[in-house]
Amino acid sequence: MVAHIVGLKWQLLRNGLRRSTPQLVGLVFAGLYGLGVLGVAMTGLIGLRFEPPSDAARTAITVGGSAATLGWALLPVIAYGIDETLDPARFATFAVPRRQLVLGLLLSSLVSVPAVVTTVLAFATVITWSRSVLAVVVAPLAAAVGVLTCVALSRVTSTAFSAMSRSRRGKDVVSLMVLLLSVGIAVGSSSIMERLSAPGLLAEVADLLGWTPLGLAWSAPADIVDGAIGSGLLRLALAMVFLMVALLAWDLLLRGALENPRAASGGRAATRAATRDTGLGCFGWLPATPTGAVAARSVTSWLRDPRYVSSVALMLLLPLGLLVSPLTGGSSAWSLAMAPAAGFLLGWSMHNDIAYDGTAFWAHVATGVSGRADRIGRLAPTAMVGSVLLPGYATLACVLTGRWSLWPAVLGIGLGFLLSGFGVASVMSALKPYPVPGPGENPFGAPPGSSALTVVVQAVAGAAVFALNLPLIGVGIGALLGPVWIGWLCLGLAAVFGSGALILGTWWGATIYERRAPELLADLARIR
Amino acid sequence: MPYRGSSLALSLRGLSKAFGSTLAVDRLDLDVPRGSFFGLVGPNGAGKTTTLSMATGLLRPDAGTAHVLGHDVWSDSVRAKQLVGILPDGLRLFDRLTGLQLICYSGLLRGMDRAVVTDRAHELLDALGLAEAGGTLVVDYSAGMTKKISLACALIHAPRLLVLDEPFEAVDPISASTIRQILKGYAASGGTVILSSHVMDLVQRLCDRVAIVAAGQIRAVGTLDEVRAGMTLEERFVHLVGGQTDVGEGLAWLRTSSD
Repeated sequence: MVAHIVGLKWQLLRNGLRRSTPQLVGLVFAGLYGLGVLGVAMTGLIGLRFEPPSDAARTAITVGGSAATLGWALLPVIAYGIDETLDPARFATFAVPRRQLVLGLLLSSLVSVPAVVTTVLAFATVITWSRSVLAVVVAPLAAAVGVLTCVALSRVTSTAFSAMSRSRRGKDVVSLMVLLLSVGIAVGSSSIMERLSAPGLLAEVADLLGWTPLGLAWSAPADIVDGAIGSGLLRLALAMVFLMVALLAWDLLLRGALENPRAASGGRAATRAATRDTGLGCFGWLPATPTGAVAARSVTSWLRDPRYVSSVALMLLLPLGLLVSPLTGGSSAWSLAMAPAAGFLLGWSMHNDIAYDGTAFWAHVATGVSGRADRIGRLAPTAMVGSVLLPGYATLACVLTGRWSLWPAVLGIGLGFLLSGFGVASVMSALKPYPVPGPGENPFGAPPGSSALTVVVQAVAGAAVFALNLPLIGVGIGALLGPVWIGWLCLGLAAVFGSGALILGTWWGATIYERRAPELLADLARIR
Repeated sequence: MPYRGSSLALSLRGLSKAFGSTLAVDRLDLDVPRGSFFGLVGPNGAGKTTTLSMATGLLRPDAGTAHVLGHDVWSDSVRAKQLVGILPDGLRLFDRLTGLQLICYSGLLRGMDRAVVTDRAHELLDALGLAEAGGTLVVDYSAGMTKKISLACALIHAPRLLVLDEPFEAVDPISASTIRQILKGYAASGGTVILSSHVMDLVQRLCDRVAIVAAGQIRAVGTLDEVRAGMTLEERFVHLVGGQTDVGEGLAWLRTSSD
């Protein structure tokens, strides 16, 4: 049975590849990347073998191993919803004994590029530790425990997450948690890295991690090599206990998933009460025209769909990243880039808006809504956000730098980016939608095999917006160095030129839309 | 030109569509007279959905024409689309809207007046037994409720032709009976209904005209009695489409009576 489950995973992987060439190419690249990482890390691990004191090896392997374990535990959160090929709930209808299912699912998780890389590296530490006979005996054991712990933790997280996300509300909560976590990691990691670079601190951290469940297995052989045989064996034993605990926890979660595969947490009645909304919402106050209707629909989705909520949050947070330097005593000049960055992100981000509709887009095709209404209506939510954000960020920058004369120039560049971004996006999104996560999926998960098209479209859209605004940026730099009136010139030019780009872009986009609305629907049906 | 003016609610001529090397619809001709309640039946993969998508402007045919009440769906699409209401199968809805919002959205997209749209939307919600659920997000609806709200969206602009792809799939008997009543009333007042289904019994009960589709072509078309030719619709269907395997003495191990 265990062999069957592992075989199933292997078969699914192979069949998936047979279905799509892009996915095969993706795997080849993942494989090459894995080989690269493997090569570098292997060289390091073998090099550490010949480093006379074993301290460097202890620090590197404990910290690296702990980081890998943590990564495995968090991976399903970040990559949630991507690989459900062996979703335990799907085994609910088969009478597979749970113990065998646990073992089978655990081992089948080892059939993937990251798992193979982790395993090879873990066992490469045996070379690093080959300094005494006992160490050569303990190290492979510790490596096996370490790798299995990684995989078991990732299964615990993914099972817990899939249990939570069985209801829509749970899914939305999960998506937002993922967002907060990702932002937390992004913000936290840079400052942690900065502090860790202080000499000696890393070794202390390694000592600390060595006694946490994350690092127990990875630091056990180090003790053996150093002659602290008792503490080394203790760590190994504790690591095994922790592995057992993780497996038991997973087993318990799995029992829930198998015995109650479709339980919706919260229940329908509660959900219904929670989402009760009496009126028309935005449809009640936006103009009662096709354009107004598209706008109201977009705004409503932006407020209710976590995929949009998270992209709005990112667009708010990314420009704020430019505040890190001014707030920590660095140059306040960075803050001047906030409004332009926000304008760029907001305008550019609309270039794939239609893909988020998915096949629901049929309503636009069936009603024969005009290209103009579709193109302009979609811009409403970002236009609303932009109209608050751009002046806000421009003002904030002036407060921080104390250079109020730059206000019109900063706002102008932001406005130019926003409006011309809208123009470019109106054309792009009528041309080539690329896959995005479906409703209720992880907002950050990219469907596999889509990356090449995604990168090309994003780069083309970004380059187009940037190229269109080069003259404006020139004038903006003039305002930075020259007299005040250049700033006002910049704002004026941005308004005139941006509106021109917007009008031209929406007109062109509308023409394309009207020519190929059914083809767009077919595209959207295919990429889902 | 065999085209006979607007006495036909729908007229398809030589409609073809290939997906890759698979020919989904193969030079299909079909006429649906005004005021008829028309059933399109066929096995899975016969090309029903593809045909209906091409007839309503959702999918561009490789060849052939489609006319709705005399208006070409592809060259005169604005007028044609005003006359048709569609309930597609297997396509998403903007399900983060409430039921009420979704119906209003369909109306407003067609450029209708807000007051009219809101009044009709409330009437439709009442008629479909969804009055209570009007403020609930469509994503939280059951399968039957979703079909009913889609039907409301198709009806909001008072179309002359209603094209319904599998309107009774995954619908409970009570919702199904509500939908049936509304459709019967609509047809009785002069509207034309085309629906696809593989529930023969239902088609037999509802429709006055039937077409049997298989492998992208029409195998039989006419009034219900013409097509049935003295058999039940199901017998005639199996007879025309073929492919039923005689189980005979196979699967003997399934018969538990020997224990």
